[in-house]
Amino acid sequence: MEVLKINDLHVSVDETPIIKGISITINKGEIHAIMGRNGAGKSTLANVVMGHPAYEITSGDIVFLGKPLDDYEVYERARSGMFLSFQYPPSIPGVQVGNFLKKSVASVRDQQLKAREFRKELNAAMEQLEMDKSFLSRYVNDGFSGGEKKRLETLQMLLLKPQLALLDETDSGLDIDALRVVSKGINEIAKDSGCLVITHYQRLLDLVKPDYVHAMIDGKIVMTGGPELALKLEENGYDWLEA
Amino acid sequence: MTYLDMEIPSRSSHLWRYTPWKRIHPSKVDIVPSCETIIINHEGDCEFKESIRTVNESDDISRVFLHECNDQMNIVEIDGKGQLVHVNLIASGESVVGHIDFQCKGEATIIIHLSGSATWTGLHITGNLEKNSSIGYAFVNELDSNSKLLRCEDWNIQRDSRLEYGELSIGGFRNKTDIRTILSDSNSSLKQAVAVYGVDSRHDDHHMEISHMVKHTDSSLIMNAACGGRSHSIGTGQLFIARNANNSNAGQVFHNLLLSQDARADAIPELEVLSDDVSAAHGAASAPIDKEQLHYLLSRGLSPEQSEALIVEGFLVNTFSSLKNKIISDDLKTRLKIHLECGIMR
Repeated sequence: MEVLKINDLHVSVDETPIIKGISITINKGEIHAIMGRNGAGKSTLANVVMGHPAYEITSGDIVFLGKPLDDYEVYERARSGMFLSFQYPPSIPGVQVGNFLKKSVASVRDQQLKAREFRKELNAAMEQLEMDKSFLSRYVNDGFSGGEKKRLETLQMLLLKPQLALLDETDSGLDIDALRVVSKGINEIAKDSGCLVITHYQRLLDLVKPDYVHAMIDGKIVMTGGPELALKLEENGYDWLEA
Repeated sequence: MTYLDMEIPSRSSHLWRYTPWKRIHPSKVDIVPSCETIIINHEGDCEFKESIRTVNESDDISRVFLHECNDQMNIVEIDGKGQLVHVNLIASGESVVGHIDFQCKGEATIIIHLSGSATWTGLHITGNLEKNSSIGYAFVNELDSNSKLLRCEDWNIQRDSRLEYGELSIGGFRNKTDIRTILSDSNSSLKQAVAVYGVDSRHDDHHMEISHMVKHTDSSLIMNAACGGRSHSIGTGQLFIARNANNSNAGQVFHNLLLSQDARADAIPELEVLSDDVSAAHGAASAPIDKEQLHYLLSRGLSPEQSEALIVEGFLVNTFSSLKNKIISDDLKTRLKIHLECGIMR
């Protein structure tokens, strides 16, 4: 089943082209990894798919679960089953994590949550991610360490059960133990969804096995391969792809 | 000096720049109306006495005016053993006035809730914290949306005493508030947190004066105002540190969240520091809703309306985060959430 299809996508920010013709198809159960230098356009791609208003699609199209995304607002994409794990999730002081999660899950599932059932589900997910209950009364990402932010992103993903998970450098800021725990969460979601993982490092891909690895340079995918491509990129860098 | 002998303050005065006296007066400025007494209900362990205010010591026009409108006064004596005192003020009729004087010692929590539909409400609250007291105080203005409010508060904090002051201002259509606190003896402290929410054309003018009169005194003031519609919030802080008040710490921060093009917010912290050896800081910032916060919530499936409401709620709730008295911070947060949810349902 085709979850995401990107056709010859061109994207600009303030009239500066960032993405210059990308095509990718992600099917259910597939994990795609995108690797590339800083500024290659990796995060832009994830943000465009999620509908960030700062980016303008100048040509090409994105089809999600068989429907063009053009007319979908950001929240409608989320409600349709799309999830972006932010590279730098913003803090929202005054909004408690527990309250936020409940509202988010109720919105995406379009139903009033039964308190007891939701608490049970939440507890199980937090246990899986080795998160302390005190997280729930803290304010969203306020004063969180890098690792705590990424755990919260992963917790949201587990609860929202997306059909497409876009993971923008989810491994950054994580120590080895946290990486292992977060990877477990990603693997669980990846079984029943399409997954696009943006990373700089092989260490994540040791734990989250990609089906395809795409090398991105200057807004274009210049090579696609299997997991071996990630190893080669980590070993040799990106210069050889430009030669 | 009586009210009618006093000069009407001009707009060039710091205190009256944004809300001229004639706009907060109940009728015409050359009239002292006869006002009913505000209805007061109270619960909790305290002595409640009715009295007459005989002497007016102030030369401030608001205080003199309120005194002349109605000289009935309620004295509340709290011999604190950690008790909670609830005071419900109900403003009904045309013009009403209330005077309450809190005499506090020990530890206690006071929650005042102002509601009602009076056209004009005048309120003067005074308080004295005796030595070695710790008082949590919350004030909630939930007047009807067609009411006008003139409120003055005067607090004196004595040696080794602490006042934690939280306020939620969500009622009335035109509000002028003037709160003055004197840290009169060493090791006295004030933590003041004020949240203002403006919708439609609500006008809320808060003036807060804090005076450090002696050494080793601490104060912090935070005011967060979220303004939607054509509402206007004003926060003026006047911090005074006397010549001998060395080793004092003081901070004032004003944050404004602008929710519409037509909303306005003014924040003016002012410092007058006469001592050299103090720590004093102030800051003010006004901004619309953070686009990244909004995008984040939208990306989690919340509609634009839900997202904005949650950001506003968080912004205002965060006002009370620094208060250690959990009873007042929980009460204020709960009332705020109920108010916002009712607003969304409307």
